[in-house]
Amino acid sequence: MNLPVDAIQGLSAVLFGIGGFGFLARRNIILMFISVEVMLNAVNLSLAGFAWFLDDLRGQILALFVIALAAAEAGVGLGLVIALNRNKPGAAVADVTKLKW
Amino acid sequence: MSLLTAIFYYLAAASVASALFAVTRKNPVHSMLWVLALFLHVAGIFLLLGAEFLAAVQVIVYAGAILVFYLFVVMLLDLPVEVERPRFGSHWPIAAAVGACFAVLIWLAQAQMRYPPIIDHGPAVERAAMGSPARGSLAEIGAALFGPFAFPFELVSLVLLAAIVGAVVLARKRSSAA
Repeated sequence: MNLPVDAIQGLSAVLFGIGGFGFLARRNIILMFISVEVMLNAVNLSLAGFAWFLDDLRGQILALFVIALAAAEAGVGLGLVIALNRNKPGAAVADVTKLKW
Repeated sequence: MSLLTAIFYYLAAASVASALFAVTRKNPVHSMLWVLALFLHVAGIFLLLGAEFLAAVQVIVYAGAILVFYLFVVMLLDLPVEVERPRFGSHWPIAAAVGACFAVLIWLAQAQMRYPPIIDHGPAVERAAMGSPARGSLAEIGAALFGPFAFPFELVSLVLLAAIVGAVVLARKRSSAA
C-alpha cells in the first residue's frame, strides 16, 4: 500500500491549525485544553507518518513520549482548573483576572 | 485507488470534520464526544501507518484515560450557563487566521522534505514470515524503549511522577494555610 506522503502531512497541518484556532478562540479553559490535545494528536500523526515514510522507528517512539507528556499535561492542567473552580465557579478564562494589574 | 487508500481518505475527512466540530460545539460534553471520534479516527490512521502499538496506546490512554478525566472535570461546569455563554472571544477571526497561517506554514515546511524512494512495506504478516519483527510491532518498540531510548523512557516516568504530585498539590483543599 502506498499512502500519499503529502496527504498525511497535510492532514496533520490542518488538524494542527484547527487545534490552534480552538486554543486561541475558545473562552472556556477546558475546551482550550481539548484544543491542545487536538494539536498534540496532529503532531503524533505527523511523527507516525515520518516513521512510516522514512522507515524509521524513532518517530513512533517520539509519539509515545508525546502521549505520555500529554497525560502529564492533562493532569496538571485539570488540577489547575479544579483549583480555579474552588475560588470562582465556572471555566471562563475571561473571569480569571486575579493576576491582572 | 486501492481500498486502503480509500479508507485513509475516509479517516482523514472524518478526523478533520470531528476536530472542527470539537472546537466549535457550544456544549462541552458534545465537544468531548467529537474529540473521542477524532482520537478513534487518528488511531485508525496509525493502524494504516503500521503503528499498531501506537494505535492501541492512542485508544487506551487518550480515548480511555485522558478523555474520561476531561469528562470528569466537565462535570464541574454549570452546563446550562456554559451553553448560554458566547463560545468564542470577539477576536475569533484573528484566531482563525493564525490557525490557517500555521497550517499553511507547516504545509510549506514539509513540502521541502525530500523522502527516500518509498519502500513498499507489504503487510505485517509477510514481514513476520520473513523472520524480522514487523515495523511498529510490540517487540520492536519494546526493544527500542529499553535499548537506545531507556534514558528518556525513565525520564518520562519521572515527569509523570512530578505531574501526579503537582496535580494533587494543586487540587488539594488547603486546610491549615491561609
